[in-house]
Amino acid sequence: MSDAQTAGTKRNLGVEITLGVVLVLSIIPIAFTTLLAFLPNRAIVSSSWDFPFWLGNFERVFKDGIFIAQIGNSLLIVLGTVAICLVIGTLSGYSLSRLHPPRWITIPALVIAGFIPLIPPMTLLPGLYVLLSDLGLIGGVGGLVLVNAFLNLPFAVLLMSSYFSTIPEELREAGIMDGASELTVLLRIMLPVVRPGIAAVGVFTAIMAWNEFQMGLTLTSGGATAPVTVGIAGLLQPFAVTWGELAAAGTLAAIPIIVMSIFANRQIVAGLTAGAIKG
Amino acid sequence: MVATANATRTASPRPTARKRSRPKHVFAIVALAPFIIFGAIFAAYPLGQVIRMALSDVQIRGGIFEWTWIGFANFGAVLTDANGLRSLGNTVIFVAATVVLSLIVGLALALLVDRAITLLPLARNVLIWPAVIAPVVVSLMWLLLLSPTAGGLNKALYSLGLPLQGWIGQESTAMAAVIVVDVWHWTPVVFLFLYTALKSIDGATLEAARVDGANEWRIIQHVVLPALRPAIAAVVVVRVIMGVKAFDEMYLLTSGGPNFATTLVTQHIKTLFFDSLQFGEASAFSLVVVILTALVLGAVLFTRSKVEK
Repeated sequence: MSDAQTAGTKRNLGVEITLGVVLVLSIIPIAFTTLLAFLPNRAIVSSSWDFPFWLGNFERVFKDGIFIAQIGNSLLIVLGTVAICLVIGTLSGYSLSRLHPPRWITIPALVIAGFIPLIPPMTLLPGLYVLLSDLGLIGGVGGLVLVNAFLNLPFAVLLMSSYFSTIPEELREAGIMDGASELTVLLRIMLPVVRPGIAAVGVFTAIMAWNEFQMGLTLTSGGATAPVTVGIAGLLQPFAVTWGELAAAGTLAAIPIIVMSIFANRQIVAGLTAGAIKG
Repeated sequence: MVATANATRTASPRPTARKRSRPKHVFAIVALAPFIIFGAIFAAYPLGQVIRMALSDVQIRGGIFEWTWIGFANFGAVLTDANGLRSLGNTVIFVAATVVLSLIVGLALALLVDRAITLLPLARNVLIWPAVIAPVVVSLMWLLLLSPTAGGLNKALYSLGLPLQGWIGQESTAMAAVIVVDVWHWTPVVFLFLYTALKSIDGATLEAARVDGANEWRIIQHVVLPALRPAIAAVVVVRVIMGVKAFDEMYLLTSGGPNFATTLVTQHIKTLFFDSLQFGEASAFSLVVVILTALVLGAVLFTRSKVEK
């Protein structure tokens, strides 16, 4: 980002103060949840503001082992989704942008890539449910890996394709001239060049898979088979709401992602602006 | 949108494509095949099943689906169902409000951050946090603020001696609460689109306008906004799609209630399919949503191409 434009103008105190206030306001929900995670329930529901520091919420969240199992499920779903999206995203993105495959195969590919991000996944859910029950994959991590991979693939393929298209055609031709096979050219010459694209796809699909809820909710039977987002939602019971536990679970799910967004800011920005259409 | 624009470019093969060698051709097809197979299995097949289900009476007996062809009866039932129509209306309100509000806030943020110096690096990082947190966790965070019984907001009102509010528990404010949560969650996307576009405006043009004595508002009105128009159009399309897909926040904050006040189409499909087990009607309603979305997007893209010409 060039700061040349702003460097020309003077520092504007009003702008800085307004922005400071906006930043504080925008993180209130995150800060408040983190605060409640360290408070006992009676302090949360009481009408006075006192803050007795307490770690019991975290203890309770982990007590029966289900939450840990759900975190494990989510990690497996993330690993599987990222692996599939990176392999297929790279191969198919490369093919689309650099190999000029015949039209009979590019047109269906572009229809799929354009179609999947547009339609609400919920509308496909009746069909996905039938498909996964036919395959015997209802209720397991395997089915959710495939569904998450499918939801993120259009983004992965299109983003990789846009990174590959920045590489000059001559690079591939030079490799072929030297006797390398198409696969060797891709692995040895192209992949190192598109490393930023691989990082962006990896980071962004990891976040999307970790955050996914609808499919986890409807395609598993809950409990120890569900991903962590469904587990957190399960803590929300209509009458006996355990506020502190809820805040602790939310903090555990949000803070790692926020820390990741600080260190991988560039990849996430690339994902949000290029892939936001997948929503 | 960047990626989509690029894909349409790659769709038209360049002249050099004609002199491709045989192995390249084969590798190109093999490399693209996994994506197509995935799409065929997970999009085309389920869509086919949705269409088949929409035209059938489907019952589960002993864990097995039993299909009976009944034609368009499900569509008739869905289009006269008051709850279904209410969810369509709610979704229209939700999409319109979230798109407009996140556009206004996102634009204001982009203009503000663009003028900041000291807080610029911090703001560019912190402002995207809401968009990376899971929607489920976002709902949880806002529930802790908006709960009528134990929420932080009512606690603050009580401490200040102000009357308590029902927020998500009350028909008149529930939809507004869900909209505010969605705007908080997704404005970062609008901000990033518009901030990136702002950065690419030619600094010399702005400088010239300033030298000519134009004030900031006139510059924004006559130089910045026209230059941002393509980015605004792109982000509106993105946000409309996100709005139609919205489910998690609403489901966790209100489950569509109270009294259907916040039932969006996604919630209605889930209720029909998983709770009332009306598989045929759930599928028919899904197709109605897909068709309406396609029509709206078609209209948006059509007016956009008209405006740009």
